[in-house]
Amino acid sequence: MTAKSKLVQGTLEMLVLRVLSRGDLHGWGITQKLEQLSKNALRVEEGSLYPALYRMEARGWLKSEWRITENNQRGKYYSLTRTGRKQLEAEKESWNKMTAIIALVMEPQ
Amino acid sequence: MEALRHLLFRLRAVFQRNRLEREMAEEMRFHLARRAAEHVIDGMPPDEARNAAQRAFGGVEQIKERARDQHRIFWLEDFVRNLRIAFRQLIKSPGFTLLAVITLGLGIGANTAMFSVLNSVMLKPLPYPDSAQLDRIFRTTAQNTEGGVSPADFFDLRRESDRYGEVAACAFTDASLSEPGHPAEMAFGVRATANFFSTLRVQPQLGRDFRQGEELRGNDRVVIISQRLWQNRFGGKVDIIGRIIRIDGIPHEIVGVLPDSFNEWRHLGWVDLFRPLGLDNEKSTDRRAAMLQLIGRRAGQVSRTEASNFIAQFGARLAKNFPDANTGSTWRTVSLNETVEGRRGGTPAIFAMLIGLSGFVLLIACSNLANLFLARTIARAREFAVRAALGASRSQLLRPLLAESLLLALAGGGFAILIAHWIGDWFSARASAGTGLPVTVVFDGHVFGWALAAALVTALIFDIAPALFALRLDVNETLKSGARGSTGGRGHQRFRHGLIIGQFAFAMVLLAGAALFIRGVYELNNTRAGWKSDHLVSGTILLSPATYANAAEMTTFRRLALERLEALPGVTSASISWRLPYFVWRDTRKIAVEGRIPPQRGLEPAAVVNGVTSRYFETVGTRVLAGRAFDSRDTATSPRVFIINQTMARGLFGNENPIEQRLVEIDGDTRVSGEIVGVVSDLQSVLPDIVPVAFQLYQPLAQEPRAYTQIAVHTSATTAPATILAGVRAAMMELDPDLPIRRLQTAEDSIASSNFQLDVLRDVLSCLAALGLGLAALGIYGIIARTMAQRTGEFAVRLALGAGIGNITRMVLITGVKLALVGAALGLAGAFGVSKLIAAGYPGIHATSVPILIGTTGLLIGIALLACWLPARRAGKVDVIVALRAE
Repeated sequence: MTAKSKLVQGTLEMLVLRVLSRGDLHGWGITQKLEQLSKNALRVEEGSLYPALYRMEARGWLKSEWRITENNQRGKYYSLTRTGRKQLEAEKESWNKMTAIIALVMEPQ
Repeated sequence: MEALRHLLFRLRAVFQRNRLEREMAEEMRFHLARRAAEHVIDGMPPDEARNAAQRAFGGVEQIKERARDQHRIFWLEDFVRNLRIAFRQLIKSPGFTLLAVITLGLGIGANTAMFSVLNSVMLKPLPYPDSAQLDRIFRTTAQNTEGGVSPADFFDLRRESDRYGEVAACAFTDASLSEPGHPAEMAFGVRATANFFSTLRVQPQLGRDFRQGEELRGNDRVVIISQRLWQNRFGGKVDIIGRIIRIDGIPHEIVGVLPDSFNEWRHLGWVDLFRPLGLDNEKSTDRRAAMLQLIGRRAGQVSRTEASNFIAQFGARLAKNFPDANTGSTWRTVSLNETVEGRRGGTPAIFAMLIGLSGFVLLIACSNLANLFLARTIARAREFAVRAALGASRSQLLRPLLAESLLLALAGGGFAILIAHWIGDWFSARASAGTGLPVTVVFDGHVFGWALAAALVTALIFDIAPALFALRLDVNETLKSGARGSTGGRGHQRFRHGLIIGQFAFAMVLLAGAALFIRGVYELNNTRAGWKSDHLVSGTILLSPATYANAAEMTTFRRLALERLEALPGVTSASISWRLPYFVWRDTRKIAVEGRIPPQRGLEPAAVVNGVTSRYFETVGTRVLAGRAFDSRDTATSPRVFIINQTMARGLFGNENPIEQRLVEIDGDTRVSGEIVGVVSDLQSVLPDIVPVAFQLYQPLAQEPRAYTQIAVHTSATTAPATILAGVRAAMMELDPDLPIRRLQTAEDSIASSNFQLDVLRDVLSCLAALGLGLAALGIYGIIARTMAQRTGEFAVRLALGAGIGNITRMVLITGVKLALVGAALGLAGAFGVSKLIAAGYPGIHATSVPILIGTTGLLIGIALLACWLPARRAGKVDVIVALRAE
């Protein structure tokens, strides 16, 4: 397996929200989607993912539901709540601001 | 909102822990299975694939633990765990738990029941919509702070009332109610303005309200009846509207039936009939007869202050414009809800006493529980010490104890609500049996709130003892002292003795209060001062103005009635009078002696007055001490004559002979002078609520006849009074079928039912006292028994050194009795306070009695002795060898 980048601290929640904004997924699906979207550059550790999912659920950003998966197993699907959607917007915005600032600092014109 | 969802999610985590765990495990299993499946697709053998997946995933349990942290509320989990522990503890010792719950249930139950009665009688607002906007309007004069208003004044106010809101008036006029084929019945009646019900915002459940025009004389032959009368007299028939009934002999049409909720005795009492005011022109312009009771509903934008200013100004204007009738009178408003029956007179004082005394019972129960808890905590001292030594903080030691008392308090509170409910039902039944009128005790949110609050406060109080113990626990000492660590030190001993003293003080207050009251009521019910009630029957009659238009007709009827009554077999004499000797006389008149310089106007002596027929004195057993009784010489046209009581004779004339002296009776502007022809013995009524007027004056009924009178019939020594009731009723019916007799019963029954409130109160007090005393006895028994158990070693040493068994028993008894004595002495002060409260509520009751106080102290000491003696007996049975070896 190729060496994968470590996640920047605090971005996991934003990424999960982003992934779920395109459709409901179970935990396994989230890791797959993240790897797929990052073209295999990102590898999410389960040890961080599940506590993060529960935390976000407790905060009301996500809600969960047991459903039958495409290959007929029971899986726990997470979906965004309205608060979660708002949170995603907020995080996206602050992320954009932050990267712009970092870019300014790193490559002053 | 956000925070609430958060909390709900976490609460779920606390209470559905198992489900969450299961789901978490399944979710992770699913994840591992999918990754393994992927490895298999990549070509790995299944076993290896599973291992690889596991490796990549990391430690499942660590992840679970980190995940669990996300939805945890530590304090709540801790709390729930403590509750579980406490629950198991309580289940393990069912005897203790049962005792505690019963003690608490009785204590809180008694208290809650008292509160529920108070709530029903005093606190609950009247059942009229927006009742806070309703006022009573009083005209205050020197004689009466809650006086009525004359018709002319009322009509003036109604014309100007748009700055206030709406005003309505009513007047109490009892009426006789009859129909062909039914015995006539006397009904509680009210005449009211057409807007009376709309002002209260009450609508008849059947039929219609009064119409404006029906207020006028001649159009007023319509009647709205109460639900109670509809049910009891007319069997609740739906076709009641339009039916014609005779009221005071005049046909009236029933146009409406009031809803059940209107039967609100706390406002108007139990009214059966409402008729329109029906004033004729002469009455409508009368400014003197203060016959109307006013209520008003303030318009929404009018504040209470504005309203009361408006009314006061109106009163002042009246006093200026019509000085003859209104000089010295002022007008004021009082919120209608504050004028309910239960808030009048001595009732609040009595309720304060009941709530206080039931609070004492609760405190006694509390201190018993504190003792029980303390003993249990001390017994577990080693356990606490070990836990403290292992690093448990004080609050961690304390929390399971608090949880235990919380559970007990809740269980006790639940039991208490049951008990309070029973007591409430009993109270309703008693109160209704006394008058035949239903009095309901409601259980609303306030009552439940009270029970809950009482339970929680109680839990706090009885927790203080074990909490203090646990906080002061000296770990080293407890662990070092081995088995003897469980005896408890001197401080605890003192604390428990304090509790016992407190219990006995409260028990003393309860006991003495109840005993004083019971004696007072007994005295009141059984004093026959100046009259006799054996072989006596009495009843109330009301002559309807339609049949008996003038004094001569009334007098003729009375002569015929007395002739018939006295002709009945077994009857020795009969009389008709304004008042019966055993009930309060309400007619007070000023008196002057003719030929003397009159005292300053307003300072003349007053006397209560009764108008009686000639054989009244022999019928009711009032002795004629000098001169003569009234007889056939004293008629409507003969010179006026008076008979006075002994105290009046002595007060006005000293040692002079009062016979043939002349008195002037002053009633407003009317002055009547007459000669004193006799002196009779003093009377005392059986009703406690009015301070008796010492001067009693009699005049012949024929010289001032009234429609509303009492009949009294005395039977011969061989005739039981109850057997002639039917005969009396038949004789009166024959004479006038429209004439109702109210409360025709033996004098003894009539006295008993008039004082039923006192009887209920007496029973309540006795129960409270018995409960308090029982709990206190249990308390001292428990303490002494425990002390005995703890001091077995000491007793064994004493016995071994030659002390007699008697010495030891005496020692234990003296300890107990000393505590009880100190408690009783403190309680005496409280008992004094209770007797003051009784005196405030019922001025007629003599609520101080030294023999009673000595007796109750003796009883209390006796019970303490018994409670101590039972365990103290065991002192003699100490086996010296066994006890010393155990040391």
